[in-house]
Amino acid sequence: MTYLLRASPLHAARASVAAAYCASLVTAAFLSPHPLVLGVLALLILCAGLMCGVGSRVARSLWFSLPMGVAIVLVNALVAREGLTVLVRLGDGGPLGQLDITLESLAFGAKEALVLIVIVAVAALASAVIDPDEVLRSLRRVSFRSALTATIATRMMPLLALDARRIGDAQRCRPRPAGRLAVMRAITANALDRSLDVAATLEVRGYGSARRPARAVRARSRHDLAFAVSAVAIVVLAAAWPAPFAYYPTIAGSFDASAFAHAGALGLAALAPFAQRRGISR
Amino acid sequence: MIGASVAVVATLALAGCGLGAGTKPERVSLLVTQGFGAQTVLDKAAPKVVGADTVMRMLERNAKVGTRYSGGFVESIGGLSGGGGSDWFYYVNGVQAGKGAADTKLHSGDHVWWDRHDWAATQTIPAVVGSFPEPFTDGYGGKRLPLVIECTQTAAKSCRGVEDEFTGLKLVASLGCLLCSQYNESLPVLVGPYATLTAAPAALKLEGPVSSSGVYARFEDGGRKLALLDQRGRVVRTAGAGAGLVAATRYRGQPPTWFVTGTNAAGVAAAVQAFNTQTLDGHFAVAVIGDAAIPLPDSEP
Repeated sequence: MTYLLRASPLHAARASVAAAYCASLVTAAFLSPHPLVLGVLALLILCAGLMCGVGSRVARSLWFSLPMGVAIVLVNALVAREGLTVLVRLGDGGPLGQLDITLESLAFGAKEALVLIVIVAVAALASAVIDPDEVLRSLRRVSFRSALTATIATRMMPLLALDARRIGDAQRCRPRPAGRLAVMRAITANALDRSLDVAATLEVRGYGSARRPARAVRARSRHDLAFAVSAVAIVVLAAAWPAPFAYYPTIAGSFDASAFAHAGALGLAALAPFAQRRGISR
Repeated sequence: MIGASVAVVATLALAGCGLGAGTKPERVSLLVTQGFGAQTVLDKAAPKVVGADTVMRMLERNAKVGTRYSGGFVESIGGLSGGGGSDWFYYVNGVQAGKGAADTKLHSGDHVWWDRHDWAATQTIPAVVGSFPEPFTDGYGGKRLPLVIECTQTAAKSCRGVEDEFTGLKLVASLGCLLCSQYNESLPVLVGPYATLTAAPAALKLEGPVSSSGVYARFEDGGRKLALLDQRGRVVRTAGAGAGLVAATRYRGQPPTWFVTGTNAAGVAAAVQAFNTQTLDGHFAVAVIGDAAIPLPDSEP
């Protein structure tokens, strides 16, 4: 999962605003128990991904999170003791107690799975549209050392992967290729050497005496404003106008006009900023 | 192959497995009280029961219930929440279950009693008398057990009085001397002055603390005195000759043992007078001093 620079309104917004937008979608998922709203949120994130040019990545994450969602539904059905509509009686499960699978526990598990799917999709969207360097630059004024450590850490995994590929290629050129363990040992030794180099470089460059950097002034763009307003609207809509839906002890909620209006309003708030495409570098 | 399939299906059916809600138990009743039965919150002689419900599901169908730990623990009933030294406890046919309400299946004839009370003195009250004539009518855990009246003097009037009460309830009781029962699994009712019952291991619990017997009273001075305790396990008053007690407890996981006893023969006679549905209904145990039946734990100084 790496940042992909694309010509889209969300990419054009500053990293902090894009992060707030993504966080607002997750917040809405936590605040909304209604399955319709959660389903719409998942679709919205996919749409947002498509409009940012990273739709395939978001779709892949949705596909990826499906097995986890199924596992959540199954585990909740076996573990939860709530719900009044018994579908299957599995008898006494020893330490697990009376195993009765109820319609409500299945529905609640499905809701939790939807929340997970939304979170994973938002994470995929965020990793593709938020420039990590910009995030770190904004954080260095708060804590320089933490920002530097995070910068080095975030670069470590791709670097190690690159090393592994390079050393693996070299190993395969030999008449008798070495095993995975030998490659791993070489990478680890290389990483340790490199960490010593990094430490020495930081020392030479006066890392310890670094001061708080000056604020980087950057004018607010129309995209910053649009996505900031969108993020606030999503949270306000989810918190102040929730679509009620109860799972226990019996399922109580409806797919009425109010629920559809709520989902529609969320969709409008989330996708409206993408209509503004002026000023996007192509 | 077909034989193996049939065997698997039969095994699952015997283990209580199946599709849908299952068979509905009959003659189930629900009582919700607080303060050791002092205040009734809900009393339903025919509560709503659907299929093979558990105690928890039956409660949720008939009252507004708040739960914790994925529905395994009752936090509140009818807006009355636990906490602060008080919590909800439940008894099925007068016996405290060894597992959670969500894991306890309902059986026909079950009288489910939820009570919110102070557990400062003890968290374990193994048996109570307030569901009388249960567990003698329908047993507990879906299993009926033979009723045995064990008296120190089988010809005594008190012993016959207890037998008459069961006869009035159309229950057949086996009458015998103390510890003479041939049944390994039975519901014993021990009748006689406390000093004469101490050969029974369960009786010795009535001399110990509340945490041991679950009864908010204890015999002192070799059974000649009966101390009545409050809900925190403190002695409120002590009665001498003529004091009676109707209580139940359990010894090492055996079926509950009931006591119709007293400090002397007059006390036993007083306890026999209190041994009826009207007097015992909704009480954890009942002491009798003079003509007054006192629900335990005692609240009067």
